[in-house]
Amino acid sequence: MENIVELKNVSKTYKLGDNEFKALDNIDLEIKKGEMVVVLGPSGAGKSTLLNLIGGMDIPTSGSVVIDGENISKYNENKLSDYRAENVGFIFQFYNILPSLTVKENVDLVKDIVKNPISTEEALKAVGLFEHSKKFPNQLSGGEQQRVSIARAVAKNPKLLLCDEPTGALDSKTGVEVLKLLRKQCDGNNGANTVIIVTHNALIADIADTVINVKNGKIESVIKNENPKKIDEVKW
Amino acid sequence: MLLKKMLRDILKNKSQFITIFLMVFLAVFAFAGVHAYMDGMTASADVYYNNQNLQDLWITSENFTDEKIEDIKKIDNVKDVERYIRIKANVNGSDKYTNPMTNKKLDDLVFECNFIESNNISKMYVIDGEGYSKDKSGLWLDYYLAKNIGIKVGDEIELSMEGVVFQEKVMGLVETPDHVYFMKDETAIFPTHTDFGIAYMSINEFPKEYIYNKILDKMGIDSANIDNKEEFLKSNIPNFKVEEYYAYPYAIVDVDDVNKLNETKTKIKDDIDGIITATTREEDISWDGYQREAEEGETYSGVFSGLFVFIAILSVVTTMNRFVRKERIQIGTLKALGFKKGKITSMYVGYGLFISIVASILGIILGNLVIGNTFLEMEMSYYEIPYYHIVTKPIVYYVSVGIIAAVTFVTYLSCRKVLKEPAAEALRIERPKIKVRENSFTTKKFFNKLSLSSKWNVRDIARSKGRTLMALVGIAGCTMLVVTAFGMLDSMKAYMDWEFGTINHFEYKLNLSEDYTENQYDDIINKYGNKTSQTVGVEFKNNDEIIMKPLTINDASDMLQVTDHNRKAFKMNDDGLYITEKMSATYNLKVGDEVEWHIINSDKWHKSKIAGLNRDPQSQQFNCSKGYFDTLEAEYKADSLYTNEDLSGVKDIPGVNTIQTINNLKDGMNSMLGMMYSLIALLIVVSIILACVIIFNLGSLSFGEKEYQFATLKVLGFKNAQIKKIFVKQNLWISIFAIIVALPAGNFITDYIFKNAIGDTYDFSAMIKPITFIASAIGTYVVAYVVNQFLGRKIKKLDMVTSLKGNE
Repeated sequence: MENIVELKNVSKTYKLGDNEFKALDNIDLEIKKGEMVVVLGPSGAGKSTLLNLIGGMDIPTSGSVVIDGENISKYNENKLSDYRAENVGFIFQFYNILPSLTVKENVDLVKDIVKNPISTEEALKAVGLFEHSKKFPNQLSGGEQQRVSIARAVAKNPKLLLCDEPTGALDSKTGVEVLKLLRKQCDGNNGANTVIIVTHNALIADIADTVINVKNGKIESVIKNENPKKIDEVKW
Repeated sequence: MLLKKMLRDILKNKSQFITIFLMVFLAVFAFAGVHAYMDGMTASADVYYNNQNLQDLWITSENFTDEKIEDIKKIDNVKDVERYIRIKANVNGSDKYTNPMTNKKLDDLVFECNFIESNNISKMYVIDGEGYSKDKSGLWLDYYLAKNIGIKVGDEIELSMEGVVFQEKVMGLVETPDHVYFMKDETAIFPTHTDFGIAYMSINEFPKEYIYNKILDKMGIDSANIDNKEEFLKSNIPNFKVEEYYAYPYAIVDVDDVNKLNETKTKIKDDIDGIITATTREEDISWDGYQREAEEGETYSGVFSGLFVFIAILSVVTTMNRFVRKERIQIGTLKALGFKKGKITSMYVGYGLFISIVASILGIILGNLVIGNTFLEMEMSYYEIPYYHIVTKPIVYYVSVGIIAAVTFVTYLSCRKVLKEPAAEALRIERPKIKVRENSFTTKKFFNKLSLSSKWNVRDIARSKGRTLMALVGIAGCTMLVVTAFGMLDSMKAYMDWEFGTINHFEYKLNLSEDYTENQYDDIINKYGNKTSQTVGVEFKNNDEIIMKPLTINDASDMLQVTDHNRKAFKMNDDGLYITEKMSATYNLKVGDEVEWHIINSDKWHKSKIAGLNRDPQSQQFNCSKGYFDTLEAEYKADSLYTNEDLSGVKDIPGVNTIQTINNLKDGMNSMLGMMYSLIALLIVVSIILACVIIFNLGSLSFGEKEYQFATLKVLGFKNAQIKKIFVKQNLWISIFAIIVALPAGNFITDYIFKNAIGDTYDFSAMIKPITFIASAIGTYVVAYVVNQFLGRKIKKLDMVTSLKGNE
């Protein structure tokens, strides 16, 4: 499989008052298409920064971020918006769905930014929420809200699905359900979709194709998991 | 430590606190400033009236003889009485002086000459020159007029009183408390101090020639044929003494106890023979005119400054409420750390308290210094009060304290609400609460066809009712103030057109002398036409009351017109009296009703039918045609003649007191409009600043509340322009709705001001031009659009990572 993500000599430095904080320190990384990747590391290790750079939410201080052959670190803001709209689906720990829109409308949002989205109905059916289409988010449980977030992300039919602690706010059983949906997304589209999950929950690593350990802004290890566990076997 | 946090928080949230500061400051600034000059006007006059011993009663009679004066002095509660002769005189060589308003040479300068004895009542306040004494010759002149046209102490003035010419030296420039507000005659609407002034002379200076002429006229002898009139009269009238022929028609009375004034007035009217009128301060043009001006100002400025305060309080308390809610997690943290509720509350209450105290103090100081002083100076240019100063009444402090208390109380309540939650709950971000039932309508029918951004905004409005309502009131309030300010200007201009374009339809008005001869009258109408009118005082019965009103007998047809409800001129029929609509409403008199009335000084009562209604912007009275008046067999004696003949070079016409041009009248009005322009400009500036601050503040609050949602949209791939469109849409909707509400409200407030602020003698209503509504609407929209576009720039700077992390 070819690479979908290639990071070369990437550093990201934040200014905190008079001090500088190096969130990522000269890292190189390659992620293949169709993989389910788990990025592991303690708080402050740089895993979210890594996800933000891949997702085009932030740009590196130095180095290049190449996604599917395109160096997005050179993109201007407008191009980055297009990149995010067309290529990336995001899933957050606290779902970030818009409380003023119904379930269906939250998914419909992507129609305003993506040329060929999956139909809302299909996306909602895929996450098992079609019957809840007319509900507002505060009528749903946490797990259901996360599924709306997944439906919204997959409706874009993205090349990359980036998940920042997607099970962080969920109980074990609901978390498993969410992970199943993510796996399903990864396996869909003839295995061309890539899912990157950032988490500090090491148990999730067992289901990944590749596990990337990040520590102190550096890639500590990249481990290929020859026999990922079935999701039902994961518990926390 | 918490104080440090408070100061740092203020610095961190400076734009929010600056808007709070500005709103409180502007409200107090406008309120304190307007009150400083309005209250200053009233207080300065009170001191002046007291110091100069303004009379309590004005009385008129054919002649206040020595005996009558002695009798009046004997009446209980009468402290002192002074009599005088008042005659208008033309100033010869008036073209030496220039009208400062028009920069043209004066072709008509008139002094109202008061020949007095003592001066213990309504004492002259000498500004330049020497004090008055009966034994001194010379003239004490109205300071304002002298200052405006350049007359100085020591100047020689030649006066002409119905053909009798005499010279006087200016001994002093003075002001008197009974001439604080005065006009040339009843047609003037505002003092100009450019072509008319008050002069005082000792009775010893009264030109005897004037009396000789009157006696000779009465004897039927042409005075022009007599060389030495004094000798002639001495030889024809036994023991002739000219002083015995002086007629003092005016007297002023000072009383001991003003609470018994009405009894004293009645006693004078009852006990003294031949009293024609007895009027109190309330009925005096100067006293009442000044009071009314202050009260009118108080009403319309009160409306404006009151609204400023209302709008600002609403905006500030909402902002503080939102600020505290934004600080929810910090409050939760402090609580979790073990800080006592009281300490946390006092810190947050301190924000509002600190800012509003500083803003209020500055508002009071600058409001007094800037608005108070400037407008008092402008206002006083129309009144003759030598010393005046701004005043800060307790109401200003009460309102400021009220604003501070409202801000503090709302902050306290908001803080208390957060503190009521368990610390663990307060540590979590407050999610927008969407009430399903309230929003269910937005998922059906018509709403389903709306774009997502429209649905989102509709629901956001439904969710944030308080903020939306505050935005609506704030923007509508400011727009309404702008409409009202411009509307007042439009209405005054419409009044000008009505008064000087339709009603007064002449170039010159000749005010005829009271005692013109038939020959003089014939000469006048032969030369200048026969368009005349007479205005008399009449008393009419209304239920059990006898009410006094003017009646104008109109023989001037198209030169002095009466106007109907729509301000269109119409011709009166000869079948009865016409009354103004306002008078009709006040006294419940309708067309067809019969009214019983008589002319003052005549005992003959008439019964007349109300033949029709008319409208007059500045005099509520009776009108009738000369044709009808003749049918009553009453004597018509014209007191005014209207003409379009060119009288620009004419100074003196025998039998004519004063010659007025329509332009003199308009100048007075323009002068008043000048003052109004300044006040309106100030109100517009404050309204626009307040509107900008409120729109900015609301936008800022609205943005803060949706920041993480916008960040989410940005992450999803929405472009900045798309998000900006969503953000701006809601604020523009609110602005448009506010404009729709504000336009009729502005019309209503303008109408309210004109109907309530202006005295009963006026009949004004809002006459706002469509262009004013259009301009105000467009102006507000443009301000809202620009401010929101400016705020929309924040979206570009929105850091997705920080915003989303903040949310977590």
